[in-house]
Amino acid sequence: MNTAYNETGLYNLSVLKESKRWLKQHFIEANQFHKIKETYPSPFYHPNFLIRVLLFVAALLALSGVTGILSLLALGIDEGEVFLSFMCLLYGVGSFFFLEKVFIENNHHYKSGVNEALIYHSCGFTIGGIMGIFDFNVHFGLFACFIVLSFAAIRYLDLVCTICAILSFVGIIFYEFNNAGGIFQQIIPFVLIICFTPIYFFVKKIKPISDLKFWSNNLLIVEALSLLFIYAAGNYLVVRELSIEMMDLYLEEGTDIPFAFIFYTLTILIPIAYLYFGVKNKDMVLIRVSLIVIAFSVFTFKYYYSFGHPEITFTVAGLILLAISILLLSYLKTPRQGFTRENLLTEKWANMNAEAFIISQTMGGNQVTVKEEFKGGGGGFGGGGATGGY
Amino acid sequence: MTNEILNDLFKKGFVTEDQFKKLNLITSGQLVSVFYELRSLLYLGVMLFTTGMGILIYENIGDLGHIISIIVLCILIVICFWYAFKHAVPFTNEQVKSQTPYYDYVLLMGSLLFISVQGYLQFQYDILDNALEYSTLLTAAFFFFIAYRFDHLGILSLAITALASFWSISLSPQKWYSGDFFSDSDLHIIAIIFSVVVAALALVLDWKGVKKHFTFTYLNFCTLIFFVANIVGLFDEGMYGIYLLLIYGGCVFTYYMARWKKSFLFLLYALIAAYIGTTFLLADTILEDALEIWFFYSIASCGGFIYFIIKYKNYFTRES
Repeated sequence: MNTAYNETGLYNLSVLKESKRWLKQHFIEANQFHKIKETYPSPFYHPNFLIRVLLFVAALLALSGVTGILSLLALGIDEGEVFLSFMCLLYGVGSFFFLEKVFIENNHHYKSGVNEALIYHSCGFTIGGIMGIFDFNVHFGLFACFIVLSFAAIRYLDLVCTICAILSFVGIIFYEFNNAGGIFQQIIPFVLIICFTPIYFFVKKIKPISDLKFWSNNLLIVEALSLLFIYAAGNYLVVRELSIEMMDLYLEEGTDIPFAFIFYTLTILIPIAYLYFGVKNKDMVLIRVSLIVIAFSVFTFKYYYSFGHPEITFTVAGLILLAISILLLSYLKTPRQGFTRENLLTEKWANMNAEAFIISQTMGGNQVTVKEEFKGGGGGFGGGGATGGY
Repeated sequence: MTNEILNDLFKKGFVTEDQFKKLNLITSGQLVSVFYELRSLLYLGVMLFTTGMGILIYENIGDLGHIISIIVLCILIVICFWYAFKHAVPFTNEQVKSQTPYYDYVLLMGSLLFISVQGYLQFQYDILDNALEYSTLLTAAFFFFIAYRFDHLGILSLAITALASFWSISLSPQKWYSGDFFSDSDLHIIAIIFSVVVAALALVLDWKGVKKHFTFTYLNFCTLIFFVANIVGLFDEGMYGIYLLLIYGGCVFTYYMARWKKSFLFLLYALIAAYIGTTFLLADTILEDALEIWFFYSIASCGGFIYFIIKYKNYFTRES
């Protein structure tokens, strides 16, 4: 399947973005950048992140108005549920066309916020319509989710759709095997591992292919999520709690889930393997995922073997983290084995102002505990900010 | 992808051979930066350590060991700030690049531990009991000093948070869920005054050329407090007209701020606040129970807004 966007435009846009990063870190000169900018013009309207959020919110509000009017009309006809579902489907598919014609083709929007709003809106109605037609059957619903979301992810290069498509894929596996019952329920973790391992290697293999370059971010997400799912499927905490929650597994005192030792081993081994291969192959995806899953593995063991003193755990964990990071920082003073502590190219999301805000938020708790005593109870204010939209 | 772009640009002669060699190291993945990973680890370490310490002290209030732990903490704080002063550059009004990779985090740790000790002393020794609020003010003053002296945006936002909590305004989105963002009935008036005064001060400082890069953080906090306080006022009292006017006034202000600071976060705040305000007004006056008009209203207003942003996109282009 092709993307809905003009490919030359996409390529030029990514050339511009990339050379802008180089310019920022003074790898290239300003006049070089201007020459590049002239030679690689991009017709797309692709504003910065905040304007995207702004446009997204506004577009969603506007779309809800459109939906409201149409639903008033449709409800007025009153031909029963199936008719309504067909209308939903029609409306969803229609808004896909509207998006392509009006915003992508004529106005050259590319990930502008309006695009995303329309994509999610269309996906929602298409999926809702299909589900309604099949009388909200879960099988069809999950498959519809997977197909529609994959379509949107591939055609519009959308990352949120990619994530949701993978989630619905996991949902399909989980639901089908869970329904089959018996032994099938117990092998769900292994099925997930068996599914996602080839997916991971396949994605890694096809990522460098030049024809797939526009999807590199989508593939990156698939890669990272596959790693996460392989880990989660083998994690003792996840398996145990899900077995108890979803499959009504009842564990008596002193008994354990089936294959418990396998899950214990996987909980320990997978993070170590990720980190090892990440460092060995200089694979940042693996390294980043491994950091997350190491933290979760520690949490898993603390969850079942806790000494009842979270504050000591915090302090010790903090000390260990500080020690590790300071050691690594001094170790990497000069680049070693291709790793450096210096900031080579700025990441899109890295921003000092954002960091400041995060600091004040994570700290919020401490300040408040001091004040709470002083303030005393007061009347509640029922979240007016959230309800005021309509 | 990035490698392909680099090769393409090199072949067409946009990048010199020297630059190509340097960049190729990065784009081909031979040289990998773990800058953000290490910083995140440091940050997490500082957070976990100071939080753990804070809880540890509160839980052991009155125990024999507490004096020792306080002394240990004080020593740690002294070490942190000693390090900070040792590596500090002389004060300037410009942005300062941190001297060592750990510098910002050492400062942050010192400041967070300072809060723990200060809070502990408050509870342990009742001398400060009547003056609880003033010790918060003291913390704020101390943080402002640290933030300006060592040029630390994170501590600046801590300082603003502390100053706001001196006026009993708590500044955390987490509070929204529990619904006690402003628990006292008059608090929103204080919050409005607070935000206006602080914003004015920040603008004066900016105008004087003192730490211009701090202005964004100030304005961010102020606009948030201002709009939320006004919306609370809108729903709380009979006389909502005043608050509505204040919201519109704030929107005009934030519009200019958004253009000036080239940051559209402000515009987003303004849009949401204005939308809630206007919708409230309409709901109270003409649109009492006409559902259809509601939908037309949302299409027209938001469609108009999108059109405005896209139409005047050059107006909003930003440098970076």
